[in-house]
Amino acid sequence: MRLIIWASFAASLSLAAPSSVWAQAGDAAAGKGVYERKCLLCHGEKGDGNGAGAEHLVPRPRDFTKGLYKIRTTANKTPADQDVFRVISEGMPGTSMPAWGVLPERDRWNLVAYLKTFAPEQFKEAPKKLELPKEVSSSEASIKRGKEMFEAIECHKCHGSEGRADGPSRAELKDEWGQPIAPANLTKRWTFRGGATRTDIATRIAAGVLGTPMPAFLDAVEKPEDVWHLTNYIMSLGTDRPGFATLVTVGAVSGAIPDDPNAAFWKKTAPQYLPLMGQVIVDPRNFNPAIELVAVRAAYNDKEVAFHLTWDDPTESKGDGKQTFSDAISLKFPAQITAGTERPYFLMGDADEAVYLLRWEQGKGVGEASANGPAKIAPLAGGEATGAVAFANGQYRLVMKRPLAVKGEARPSFRPAQFTPVAVQAWDGGAGESGPKMSLTSWYYLRLEEPQSSRRFIIPPVVAILTLAAMILVVRTANRTR
Amino acid sequence: MRRTLMAFAAITLVVGAAMWFVSIAGAQGGGTVEVEVKYGGTAQVEKLKVNKDTEKCGTEAVVEHVVVGGNKGLANAVASVPGAKGTTKAKAVIDQHGCKFVPHVTVMQPGEIEFKNSDDILHNLHTYSTANPSINKAQPKFKKTMTEKLEKPEFVKITCDVHSWMLGWVAVVPGLAGVTDSNGVAKIENVPAGKQKVEVWHETLGKQEKEVDVKAGQVTKVSFEMKGK
Repeated sequence: MRLIIWASFAASLSLAAPSSVWAQAGDAAAGKGVYERKCLLCHGEKGDGNGAGAEHLVPRPRDFTKGLYKIRTTANKTPADQDVFRVISEGMPGTSMPAWGVLPERDRWNLVAYLKTFAPEQFKEAPKKLELPKEVSSSEASIKRGKEMFEAIECHKCHGSEGRADGPSRAELKDEWGQPIAPANLTKRWTFRGGATRTDIATRIAAGVLGTPMPAFLDAVEKPEDVWHLTNYIMSLGTDRPGFATLVTVGAVSGAIPDDPNAAFWKKTAPQYLPLMGQVIVDPRNFNPAIELVAVRAAYNDKEVAFHLTWDDPTESKGDGKQTFSDAISLKFPAQITAGTERPYFLMGDADEAVYLLRWEQGKGVGEASANGPAKIAPLAGGEATGAVAFANGQYRLVMKRPLAVKGEARPSFRPAQFTPVAVQAWDGGAGESGPKMSLTSWYYLRLEEPQSSRRFIIPPVVAILTLAAMILVVRTANRTR
Repeated sequence: MRRTLMAFAAITLVVGAAMWFVSIAGAQGGGTVEVEVKYGGTAQVEKLKVNKDTEKCGTEAVVEHVVVGGNKGLANAVASVPGAKGTTKAKAVIDQHGCKFVPHVTVMQPGEIEFKNSDDILHNLHTYSTANPSINKAQPKFKKTMTEKLEKPEFVKITCDVHSWMLGWVAVVPGLAGVTDSNGVAKIENVPAGKQKVEVWHETLGKQEKEVDVKAGQVTKVSFEMKGK
């Protein structure tokens, strides 16, 4: 069998030879050794994507035997060697495929050569470079045209009308292997599998993503340059990468804080981004968390503290209790805030030390709870927590409020300038998350900004005037004595 | 004597008529093969609730996996005579209409096929094939027709990822072929006389073949009984 593979590989090499401008010919035999050391556990000995780790991964590892490669810069189905090399070197953001740039370049080219031997038939046809239309730089007019085209070619069917992967077809999407596949969230460029540069995005639109439902659009836009208008529009939907907060600051305000999550007040407050990870310490573990980013906005006045949380979730889920559950989110604090650096166990406390949760659950609203571990959560009665939620276009916006100072052992009071431990847990019930199956952060610190008194507007001018007066006095006195 | 004469005249007439018949049939290129496909099992028709584009797609989608008509006739089966080279006919056309591929099964000779989109919404043409390059191209509402190449013989599945219930098949066959109607009958005309292999293929029930003796100018009937998988 191996002989046959090698023979056909040799044949394919000799056929591919004239087009070797693309290839930095690697040595497949040497690549096999590297593959068996680095790739086999997920991609499998036969390259069929059925390695030991495969069942834990979403999306599953690539099956190389079909010769279908998602990321390619070619007009036909054969990827350029450089395309495969790049994915090996840079990995695939948003998946389990890490960047193998740590391997010597030689090894990576050898891997490219070896991967091709899994589907020699598919590589018989030489890669044909995709010619993108002439680049159009971004401008207001181009973004506007891009939005028009986005609507005309109905990108929203899968990607959602604001690009948050919440389109009506999203639940039906399957890849070439019949596995469910999620559309890209266009507001999160850092998760784009094939890179987030303008050329990467334009290439994916033009050539499609092989083995997935994403079709090629090069011949399906009104004018070829629309590919670039679409690119510019998609670039306008999000940032390259969110700057993660290290400290959550709660701004001091003097007036009332609105409950409405869509109020202008919240739009003006700067978001602080916290990354979330899957909970993998206790069963059931969550290897593929659905919610991986929460934006926190926070403010307090003399009476209450308010938290505004924003996160993406394609569906508003109340759950059927079997496959799907209620969407939920919670902010976690120690039950009492002490001066030291001791904090309760980060996984929702333990038997010795409870944590306090300010939480929201779909259908139940905002409430408070005390927890001694992920499975031991008891609602706290008699609280004054309130809030409001809004869901639109694949995004939740939530306001949770409670009085600054409270009595009792189970609830902490918030004081200005105090470093208060805080953490976030989130559940996408529609994706089957509930109980310990959640995504979470470890402890962060939260700090209520000290109230900015109006003294800073009075003292400096007063000092300036007094200094001026003193100077005039000195000058006058000096003049008189002369 | 009279009897002999009569016999001679009769023979002459019969032979003459036969020769005339053969010459006509010869001009027409052969005989007709009438393929009848039967299936004793039950129909498999999936009905799904539609959650989008209901003004174009309706509220219920019907996926025709196995359609059984009157007298157990199996519809949507492809009958072909691989040995009879087809003449270039009009280009095969599939319409995406009402969020269905119309017809459900299309027969074509290797070459070009036209895809229409008369729905005024986005469809994407996603083919599953091994011999031909697989296609996954968007066909937005303003792209009314698209021409694609299927140059190698193969049964190609077509889907649309936007409307996951949409399912169609293209039978790329080099020989003469037809698709069975609701009674399970397909007629293939102008098949050269002589021994010919007849193949029947169905998307879920698989393939069968039989040999028939095609007589010029005559209709040769052949019957298949598909077995459930």
